[in-house]
Amino acid sequence: MKQILTWVFVSLIAATNVMAQDQVRMAVTTSFHNSGLADVLVPEIKKELDLEVQLLVVGTGQALRLGRAGDVDAILVHSRAAEETFVAEGYGPYRREIMFNDFVLIGPVQDSAGIQGAQTAADALARIQTAKASFVSRGDDSGTHKKEQNLWEKASLDPSDFGGWYRAVGAGRGAALNTASGLDAYIMSDRASWLNFGNQGSLALLFSGDPVLFNQYAFLPVSVERHPHVKADLVAKLEGWLTSQSAQVLIDGYTINGETLFTFNAN
Amino acid sequence: MVELFPLSLDGATTSRRGKRLVGPVDLKISGGRTTAVIGPNGAGKTSLLRLMHGTARLNAGRIDWACPTDLARHHQAFVFQRPIMLRRSVEDNLIYPLVLRGARKKETKTAAKTWAQRVGLDQLMQRSATVLSGGEQQKLAIARALIIEPALVFLDEPTASLDGRSVREIEAILSDARARGTQLILSTHDMGQARRIADDVVFLLAGRVHETGPASEFFDRPETAEARAFLKGDIVE
Repeated sequence: MKQILTWVFVSLIAATNVMAQDQVRMAVTTSFHNSGLADVLVPEIKKELDLEVQLLVVGTGQALRLGRAGDVDAILVHSRAAEETFVAEGYGPYRREIMFNDFVLIGPVQDSAGIQGAQTAADALARIQTAKASFVSRGDDSGTHKKEQNLWEKASLDPSDFGGWYRAVGAGRGAALNTASGLDAYIMSDRASWLNFGNQGSLALLFSGDPVLFNQYAFLPVSVERHPHVKADLVAKLEGWLTSQSAQVLIDGYTINGETLFTFNAN
Repeated sequence: MVELFPLSLDGATTSRRGKRLVGPVDLKISGGRTTAVIGPNGAGKTSLLRLMHGTARLNAGRIDWACPTDLARHHQAFVFQRPIMLRRSVEDNLIYPLVLRGARKKETKTAAKTWAQRVGLDQLMQRSATVLSGGEQQKLAIARALIIEPALVFLDEPTASLDGRSVREIEAILSDARARGTQLILSTHDMGQARRIADDVVFLLAGRVHETGPASEFFDRPETAEARAFLKGDIVE
């Protein structure tokens, strides 16, 4: 995880090179940035609002820490429990849902654990555990890892009891998927990351569609009471745009290989 | 240090909303060389750097490093034209990448001090990074990239809009990094800088590599009419 976080931090403190009138900083997750959607939304925000959105691309946990420290004006992440804690602690006035995609379970085409026949995500994980089939966990502080932990819990299983078949690699999405590909192992991924992954090898998408795999992205302004330097007026403009019809058209219309990645659900 | 090179691009293309920004690009970058990516505005210099670094999506073609891509990314960094400073002190900005790597506090402090001295910011360690001048912020951004001791640093117009003194200081920092074994790939509008720093030049035009080769040959004997016109200062598209 630390390797990847360092790479994304050092690398992805991204801004456009054209100076806009106003600038706002937003911490976003690697999964959102790597989906390519940021490259579509940010230039459009610049064009429509003359607002430059500077992205700090990190894992969900780190994004929330940047918000707590007042390093950013807003956050766009996908881990509801952590977001609610952030708000409850007074670091953000509220969370506002913007869009969702879904998590999927990936595994070897042969599907030795038989998860294609599972009725629920919990059932699919239980089958993997029963078969003791190799499973790669992100094992980091990402939204994806938090979600995976939550699903094991729903299946009444505790990864700390698992044997060597369960590998927590402590790595970001690309490295974890590469590990799974190399090991022919099962892994959970967000759909966008899977579609963008270039080294799928003999892995395939084996299970999706359970409502518990819903992956909600939310926008959180950073509290101006905690951090008076936060640009609350610009954050409000940004939030207004992210919940607008302009954003809806771009988010709903964003596809990779013909597949829609995100669904707009702001209200 | 891990071997990243040669870096090979084979038909590499990146697009946004159906518009091709760069590509298809065929290019090979060897180890131990400093490469300057040059070309007119809109040629795709920044996009090419981001594509190589993996922060722009590869829509077609291949990009291959001498080692696995994840390992290559771990050993590289990117410095943007207008760096974003964390709203913290100079020292805390320097420390942050090391903290993410799990370095111990004492190590981070020592490294921050060393790098602040190297880039001439040691007297400003406790100052808020957001109030530094443009040149100081760029030096801090470069130090923040170099503190993780990367094998490669991409720099997007590292001295654009800076005064002559800052340009000289930053070029000295880059030379020092180069001497320490960090390879550089930079985009620049400054042909003087490309001549001073680069071993090789990649001349981009309309998102494609129009001409490439050793800097001395490119500047002395450009092969194409477009490259000659560009070096002469004509508008080339």
